[in-house]
Amino acid sequence: MKCTRCKAPASTALPSHNAAFCPDCFPLFFTKQVETAIRRQKMFTHDERILVALSGGKDSLALMLELSLQGYDVTGLHIDLAIPNSSPKARAKVEAFCQQHGLNLQVLEVAKEGLPIPAIKKHIKRPVCSVCGKIKRHYFNRIAREGGFDALATGHNLDDEAARLFANTLRWDSGYLSDQGPTLPGEEGFIRKVKPLYRLTEFETANYAFMKGIEIHSDPCPYSGGASFTGHKKLLGELEHKSPGSKFSFYDNFLKRGRPAFKLLEKEQGDPLSPCDTCGSPTSLDKCGVCRIRETLERNMKEAGESL
Amino acid sequence: MITVNIEPEGKSTTLYKTRTVIALLNKLDLRPTMALVIRNGELLTPDVKLFNGDVITVKKVISAG
Ligand code: SF4
Ligand SMILES: [Zn+2]
Ligand SMILES: [Zn+2]
Repeated sequence: MKCTRCKAPASTALPSHNAAFCPDCFPLFFTKQVETAIRRQKMFTHDERILVALSGGKDSLALMLELSLQGYDVTGLHIDLAIPNSSPKARAKVEAFCQQHGLNLQVLEVAKEGLPIPAIKKHIKRPVCSVCGKIKRHYFNRIAREGGFDALATGHNLDDEAARLFANTLRWDSGYLSDQGPTLPGEEGFIRKVKPLYRLTEFETANYAFMKGIEIHSDPCPYSGGASFTGHKKLLGELEHKSPGSKFSFYDNFLKRGRPAFKLLEKEQGDPLSPCDTCGSPTSLDKCGVCRIRETLERNMKEAGESL
Repeated sequence: MITVNIEPEGKSTTLYKTRTVIALLNKLDLRPTMALVIRNGELLTPDVKLFNGDVITVKKVISAG
């Protein structure tokens, strides 16, 4: 197979684009897709400051590198979850990567915030991943706002987004279907959230990562009970194989035709938000969810005769 | 005979009479856009021919989490 652009031997075949690229031309294709995403979805400009959530996975690192190569003002944010074995590895990977490429990085340690994930797993009677996700979203938003950033970027790719959409369509979750997308404008204490890789598949991101020397596999979190949406990703992968391009059109047509309809349906609902008494994050109660978790954790640990 | 290392599982297997990347992927029950196929540090497209003695790394791309 030859490169569609320069006729050199291809390294990457992309049936959905009816194209194949060599290692020199593939990154140009990748860059173009990210540029199109940023422009069409009005994500951010070169005058704005972008905070990039860095888990240490291939997608977040690829995103950070690509945005910096495009000349955007990016700062990475890694959240150290204090999970033995797994968190130190993820953190070391992110730190080494940012150092290698000369990228700005901030690290937030949840242990210093009174919220180490292992203690939460032990003492809070809720699925650890839902609390962990809540804590991560809380600090991404808070650090972005307190640091005066204009947008928070995450490494979600087309497979992530299409699988999530598929899951929510199976349940006809109109709340989700009315307000999800690659750009969520900032409002009422919430930073603008953007997903510049939403046009690129997991396969394309993996190819880019490989070419840029980013390890594509990370050690899974010991608390993850199998990846979410993996089954849906495989189903969509089969559909994509039979009908190349269907994954993107499923998602893109949702944005164009589905979402506006659900938006009309979804009445203004939910309680008005005001700043949390303790940390200032937006909440419908006096204290935000994360500050309440911190208090419950303190109380439960005290009762168990433990301390952080 | 072709040696195949499969990641992230870290499994190793040997295949016989497998002359192309697409044949290799079929034997592993993978679609072409579900894995990177690497020989000597280079990415291979599905049409590429394989040879006796090749050592191939297959990196599945669906991320866990
Ligand atoms: S899998 Fe681990 S890192 Fe991910 S949400 Fe669950 S506890 Fe947190
Ligand atoms: Zn080329
Ligand atoms: Zn709070």
